[in-house]
Amino acid sequence: MAEWRGGRREQAMEPDGGTSGAAAAPAAFLDPVVLSRIGNLELLARTVVEGFINGLHHSPHLGMSLDFAEHRAYMPGDDTRRIDWRLYARTDRFYIKEFEADTNTNFSVLLDVSASMRYGSGPVSKLDYARFLAACLAYFSHGQRDRVGLVTFDADIVEVVPPSAKHLSAVLTCLARARAERAGQLEAPLRKLAEHFRRRSMILLMSDLYAEPDIVLDALRHLRQRGNDVMVIHLLDPAELEFPFDGPGTFEDVETHERRPIVPEYLREPYRALIRAHVAELGRRLGEQGMDYAMFDTSWPLDVALFDFLSKRQRRGRVR
Amino acid sequence: MSLLSPWLLLGLGALAIPVLVHLMHRERKDVVFFPSLMFLERIPYQAVRRQRIRHWLLLVLRCLAVVLLVLAFARPFLARAGASAVAGSGRARDIVILLDRSYSMDYGDRWARAVAAARHVVTGMSGGDRAAVVYFAGTASAASPLTGDKAVLVSAIDSVHPTAGTTRYGAALRLAGQILGDTARPRREVVLISDAQRTGWAGRRMPRLSAGATLTQIDVGDSATADVAITGVDVRHDAGGDRAQVVVAARLANRSADSVARRAVTLEVNGRQVQTRSVGLSANGTATVTFDAMRIPAGASRGVVRTGADALRRDNAWYFTLGRARSLPVLLVESPDAPKAEDLYISHALDIGDRPSFRVSEVRTTGLNAAALRDAALLILNDAPLPHGEAGRRLLAFVKGGGGLLVVLGGRSRPDDWPASASELLPHPSAPIDRLADHGAMLGFLDRSHPVFEPFDAPRSGDFSAARFFRYWNMSPGAADRQLARFDDGHVALLERRVGAGRVLVLTSALDGVWNDLPVQPVFLPLLQQAATYAAAYTPDRPWVTVGEAVRTDSSAGPAVAITPSGAHRRLGRGRGGATLEFAEQGFYEIRQSGGAHDSTRTVAVNVDLAESDLTRLDSQLFATAVAPSGGPRAHADALAQLTPADLERRQSVWWYLLVAALLLMGAETVVANRLSRTAR
Repeated sequence: MAEWRGGRREQAMEPDGGTSGAAAAPAAFLDPVVLSRIGNLELLARTVVEGFINGLHHSPHLGMSLDFAEHRAYMPGDDTRRIDWRLYARTDRFYIKEFEADTNTNFSVLLDVSASMRYGSGPVSKLDYARFLAACLAYFSHGQRDRVGLVTFDADIVEVVPPSAKHLSAVLTCLARARAERAGQLEAPLRKLAEHFRRRSMILLMSDLYAEPDIVLDALRHLRQRGNDVMVIHLLDPAELEFPFDGPGTFEDVETHERRPIVPEYLREPYRALIRAHVAELGRRLGEQGMDYAMFDTSWPLDVALFDFLSKRQRRGRVR
Repeated sequence: MSLLSPWLLLGLGALAIPVLVHLMHRERKDVVFFPSLMFLERIPYQAVRRQRIRHWLLLVLRCLAVVLLVLAFARPFLARAGASAVAGSGRARDIVILLDRSYSMDYGDRWARAVAAARHVVTGMSGGDRAAVVYFAGTASAASPLTGDKAVLVSAIDSVHPTAGTTRYGAALRLAGQILGDTARPRREVVLISDAQRTGWAGRRMPRLSAGATLTQIDVGDSATADVAITGVDVRHDAGGDRAQVVVAARLANRSADSVARRAVTLEVNGRQVQTRSVGLSANGTATVTFDAMRIPAGASRGVVRTGADALRRDNAWYFTLGRARSLPVLLVESPDAPKAEDLYISHALDIGDRPSFRVSEVRTTGLNAAALRDAALLILNDAPLPHGEAGRRLLAFVKGGGGLLVVLGGRSRPDDWPASASELLPHPSAPIDRLADHGAMLGFLDRSHPVFEPFDAPRSGDFSAARFFRYWNMSPGAADRQLARFDDGHVALLERRVGAGRVLVLTSALDGVWNDLPVQPVFLPLLQQAATYAAAYTPDRPWVTVGEAVRTDSSAGPAVAITPSGAHRRLGRGRGGATLEFAEQGFYEIRQSGGAHDSTRTVAVNVDLAESDLTRLDSQLFATAVAPSGGPRAHADALAQLTPADLERRQSVWWYLLVAALLLMGAETVVANRLSRTAR
């Protein structure tokens, strides 16, 4: 199974949604608003991956491949075919040649396309942002010769692209086609999907996670228990984090269409506290279950968010 | 402070709006779509409750804006300003009588009627009234200050007579404005007594009367007029034969709807009738009368063309001076080793010039003495080196003193042999350029804005492209030199340099027919003659000037005396640049000036401006509208006393300032509100 190793850390993202370096992010970072002007997802993914991520990722597994890694002393039990006979001729000692291993794992993105993902206070909605992220990671994995797949879901499974080394274009097409229109639910579709992934896979869930942490954990537990490497990206719009509305008005839930009169000036601080607690709870509980969690603000530059997430995974990988 | 619409103050009730806005939360009409109300539902719902007033600055700004808006609509005005100005003033008038004395007022009995009308205005003055008499033609002058003394006014009216000037209403109205502007009387009148000629109208530049002043027009013009005018004289010099002859032709115009069957036209020279012709003129037609050629004596002669008397007598005579044509003395300087026919093209081109004629003398550089230079106005250095020594210094002094120099460079110019002082006159040529191999150079650039090329101003005039230049000198012009023509490779062909008061023209290719074929081109003759007259700074004598023009006397000579056509002697002062004499009468002026090199007498013929003989009338209503007061800032008490509150309010326009202030406050309110809104987030 492949693992990602992140390189730099320009922006610290904590489960509570705080950022330490967002304000200082250089302008050269990939602004989601700018990327949204690139209509072609493959081109977008290539722009991000080849421009910023390539070259930072290596497989840690050594095995058979064409890329020589290192020599090590022969140990009893080693395959004698791997002994470097030329080195033996020069040194009169047995050395084994080791190579960079080829990775060959399944990588699937579970994309929440419930109506709430359509929300965006700026030009980029949560679904757009998730689309960009998924496209980048799929393109990246495809470059590692991993099999990539995609599942979109709301209250039920909407579309499935099974993991395959040849399915990158299908994944990108499915991403481009995804529409967030109906109400969503986490548990039912994810339980169905647990049956779907028979082989151990890397599974990346992208959602705004408007559900209680217990429900989220229950939904993901089935996937995790089957040995899958589960990662969760929690996508939130800046308006969902800061609640910047001014003046009293009626707020409507885009999924349930329930309406409620709101005086934002009075609800702002309690709301912020609740959303922060929600993010912190999810981060803590998912981490306890061995799942990687990251909250992404959709106003953050895409490459910075990706780097941070990948580097965090790499750090956790070392700990595990 | 009064209000034109006080009931609009009820609008101050709108002050409650910003207060209520600050006290109450308005619920947004638009629904805010939000991804999930999951967290919002957990927060206990707070009903709308009474709020204290927040953002006091914002509230004050909004209230002030409302107050200003309401006040603006109520149309406030200051009634006291008008009342105070009126206080203390009676119904006395200040009157300015504008009396037109242009020469068109001489038509028929117009002047008598104008004087009678002016007297009538004076006699009509009541006890406290004052009046001033202003007479005007091209300029305006006050014949009397504002006074209530009728005798003074009548005397001023009687002392004025028509002149040879033209009508200009603008000058008179400006002076009337100045006189009335200094008074504090509430009632002010301008009485314009004129024949209402359209030619005096200055269109948009006409000054307006000051606020409160009224205009009364007394038109003494005639509805139908008949006039035959001499519109000009053409004097052509005929230089053939032993004695100079002139041919005089006069142009006449009939400015009436009736034809004139026979009209005698007489030519007088020095006070003697020389010839008389008869001419018929159609209605609104013109005719030309040409007199026989006649010999004229040496010196200046006085010529007058007259036609029979009619109602407007001043345009029945045309004055001009006659004299032998002044020729331009040219000194053609050749190289000592030049063959005899070297200057063939130049001398022949100048010989046939007639406007002016050229008097060409030829000399070799070795014979360039002071006597030869003294009489010359122009020196042409034709394919000859610049002289050394005393001759060189004389040449430099000649040019600096205002003489012209035309240098034609050629094979005998020998720049290596030039004295050092030559660099003051012209740039030093470096080497000749031979363009025989490529069939000769063409002129690539001509500065057609320069007077040298003036004869070629007309479209498709002056084809210089046919001329080919096979050799020319390479010359680098100085920063102050003006390049008049360049060859197609960019080298200078003709340049000008100002040296002192004189002009130097340099042609870098010889005019011998070998270095180029310019002398055989049609453009050569006018070009050379124009270059010669320009370099010599020649200005032709004008046979006449128009009334209103001025002449400046020679500042280097002694005091001058001018004898006017009416016989008056006027002493002219000795200003720094000479005295100025403005011609105000029609006829011959004689200007005598003594001192300096020698005493001089100069005769100047002066004619009236013919625009004035066009008696077309101006629409009095249009004139009154054009000069009507525009309501300036100094509103007058008389006008104010008669103004209604609506007029007062309209003049003061306080509402406008209030509205602008309200808008500014609203802008400030927007800025403050935005800032507060941002900080609230």
